[in-house]
Amino acid sequence: MRARRESLFHLLEPLLAHVEHPARYLDHEWGSVQEQDGPFHLCMVYADVYEVGQPNLGVAILYNQVNAQEGMSCERCYLPWKDMAALMRENEVPLLSLESASPLASFDAIGFTLAHELIATNVLETLDLAGIALTSAERDEDDPIILAGGPSAWNCEPLAPVFDAVLLGDGEESIVEACACIRDARARGLTRLETLRRLARVPGTYVPSLYDVVVDESTTRWGRAVPRAGEDVPEVVLKRCVNDFAATPAVAQRIVPYMGIVQDRLSVEVLRGCARGCRFCQAGMTYRPVRERPADQVVRCSVEGLLASGHNEISLTSLSTTDHSQCAQILNRMNSELEGKGIRVSIPSQRLDSFGVEMAAAVAGGKRGGLTFAPEAGSQRLRDVINKNVTEQDLEAAARNAFEAGWRRMKLYFMMGLPTETDEDVVGIARMAKHVLEIGREVVGRGPKSGVSVSISVAVLVPKAFTPFQWCGQLDPDEVRRRQQLLLSEIRDRAIRVSYHDASVSLVEGALSKMGRAGFSLVRRAWELGCSFDAWTSEFRFDLWERAAAECGLDLADVACEHFPLAAALPWDHTSPGVSKGYLQREWLRAAEGVTTPDCTRDTCADCGVCPALRVHNVIQGVRS
Amino acid sequence: MSGSRPQPTDARPQDLPVKAELPRLRVEYVKDSRLAFLGHLDLIATVERCIRRAGLPFSVGNGFARRVRIQFTSALPVGASSACEYFDLRLTEHVDPNEALCALRGATPSALRPVRAAYVPGRLPALEAWLDRSSWELLVPGAGLDAAQIARGVEAVRERGELTYMRGEKAKRVDVASTLVGFEARDVEGGVEVCLETRLAGCALRPQVLLDAATDALGLPRASALRVRRVRQAHEENGRLVEPFGPFCEKDGTPLS
Repeated sequence: MRARRESLFHLLEPLLAHVEHPARYLDHEWGSVQEQDGPFHLCMVYADVYEVGQPNLGVAILYNQVNAQEGMSCERCYLPWKDMAALMRENEVPLLSLESASPLASFDAIGFTLAHELIATNVLETLDLAGIALTSAERDEDDPIILAGGPSAWNCEPLAPVFDAVLLGDGEESIVEACACIRDARARGLTRLETLRRLARVPGTYVPSLYDVVVDESTTRWGRAVPRAGEDVPEVVLKRCVNDFAATPAVAQRIVPYMGIVQDRLSVEVLRGCARGCRFCQAGMTYRPVRERPADQVVRCSVEGLLASGHNEISLTSLSTTDHSQCAQILNRMNSELEGKGIRVSIPSQRLDSFGVEMAAAVAGGKRGGLTFAPEAGSQRLRDVINKNVTEQDLEAAARNAFEAGWRRMKLYFMMGLPTETDEDVVGIARMAKHVLEIGREVVGRGPKSGVSVSISVAVLVPKAFTPFQWCGQLDPDEVRRRQQLLLSEIRDRAIRVSYHDASVSLVEGALSKMGRAGFSLVRRAWELGCSFDAWTSEFRFDLWERAAAECGLDLADVACEHFPLAAALPWDHTSPGVSKGYLQREWLRAAEGVTTPDCTRDTCADCGVCPALRVHNVIQGVRS
Repeated sequence: MSGSRPQPTDARPQDLPVKAELPRLRVEYVKDSRLAFLGHLDLIATVERCIRRAGLPFSVGNGFARRVRIQFTSALPVGASSACEYFDLRLTEHVDPNEALCALRGATPSALRPVRAAYVPGRLPALEAWLDRSSWELLVPGAGLDAAQIARGVEAVRERGELTYMRGEKAKRVDVASTLVGFEARDVEGGVEVCLETRLAGCALRPQVLLDAATDALGLPRASALRVRRVRQAHEENGRLVEPFGPFCEKDGTPLS
């Protein structure tokens, strides 16, 4: 039975004095919506602590969108840290929403944002703390409908038994439609099953319980999901896409947190989608087409947003901000509007091939902290394999521009375990870092006080669904460690700092990215054994994951490192972000040959299939150079 | 080659305002209800954002981070509320204090509401060090302890002259003789009410720490769910207390600080 909707903050308050960072649980932040009358109540959940979840743009967008609807309200909930969770269990306090402090189990619907694969055990921890059954099949008629969406929904199969429905693609419109559907179904007294059937008719909504998993010779060992006999649901659920992006609010974050959060700044989403076509990048494939906001809107909304929030930093966010055709104009206008106010304008990372002299002068106004570029691979051959489309000359020019414009610290992102990678490519990472450092020393000077330094961060490739690399296996963890040591042995200059991802963490992420629905038993067992907050280095327990896998008859390396046949039906083929499988197959074959594919916002159409499938097109405000 | 680096126009030394000449607006505000659990660093960030939202002509420092020029009083323990917190804000131009107060009220959560604003002399020392006296009201709820027991425990701590407690992994030593100025406890309905006077001298004497030491000294269980509220702050000089908003001079015009 559904829990009663009432404020239980008085049960939580006595616990605040005994936990780390009580500000995580306070609510009442500036800009939060305190009027939560409903009568329809949704709670958006980011299954990590407040300071990690609060900056999430997706939650902010959906929160505003639902709260703007007549008769609907939306609250937030984050997963309490372990100290608070233990106290809550000890004192029998259920998980509460922030705004009204009502039990999560009292809501009509709960929406999880799946920001990354390693959040899986936290989803189960959230439901358990809330006293809600972990799987859709175990829930009662009147229990909340559990929704999910976000970037990792593109292979949601390992969590498919948990969710009543998964919203694919842009959620601005579909969350409202899904909520209306649930509200109307409840008003008419429909059964839970009938409600789910109606949800499956909302475009872009995948209802896992209405699909069976079939394993046959055409599939991988994980099978494929097909409509259950007698259910009128689409064979392939196509994502939703907001066509008129400029009509959506540019500044979604209206809540100003009290405590320091991981991205403690105002964010403006300046464009959505990326057509560069990097073959490892899931976001680049799943957020298409490219939609730019006009410069006027970005500048006006940024200034208004800063005034309304009081933030002293603003970030122009997107998958590739410097690709915006009016990026330099936006930066220059914002720097001039905000001069003397102690406000910093930042962009997340820069494209090497678009960081010219003008951009170098415009980024960060008068301040020069660190600057981040992502060459991704250490050799031109491998950059062609991944379709990165930047050259050594781009890196040289960007580094020179940056050092000449006053930067001293440069951060370079790379990946390890890319298809066809050799030791020569790994050594190439070190060579590039040394080369950038040398440019810095040439420009700034060689003395120890010059402050020139280069940091390189090396991730492990995790092949993701709906990328051209979805068929390839992850690099074996022992080989990852060997190549990491090879890289370290190549770098002796103390001005170059190296950081790299833990091979074990990447392995679990790889397994979760690759598994089908049967993988849920692994996630559930890992959680039962005590895994949670897996994305936190301090909390990640590889031993428990290995034990859980063994108990489920799985081997993590075997799962993550498996290559899928190009013709096989994949575990996620029943959902679609619009890019055609044929395009992804072509890109995989071109990768093997080292042939690059151009960006359709600058060159000819690459025939990815998104525009005809979704009946959309790229929206570019100016001319991309 | 710093010569090739463009110089931001808002950071040329000749254009920067001299801090001592800037109007110094002192604001009194409360900290209560849920926001009693806001840590000091989070409080600082929150107040800075309130000031920006209020649209006041705040002055920005010349450091790399370009922070708002603002000073706060000594940190409240997390969980303690207050009727009398203060910050000093340097403005780039004179604004009517009532108008500034009004703008701040409109931009601040009610649990941190500003209650008074006035200009104070720019020459006064930094606020945190200057307001060195605090009065506290504590409510020790529930049964188990009475006023006489608490008074005996505090007296035992006072006689020792100092107390040591662990804050995280660090041991802190408090000079009780210097920091504990006054103490009074009385039984009230629902518990014991304690009034405490403290002085800032080295490591601060936290009310909860004193109460814990007092109960420990008598071998009694520690008081839980203690409610702590700071009710007054002042500056101590020549044996007398100067209020945060002054007057800052003796009757004959002799400056107090």
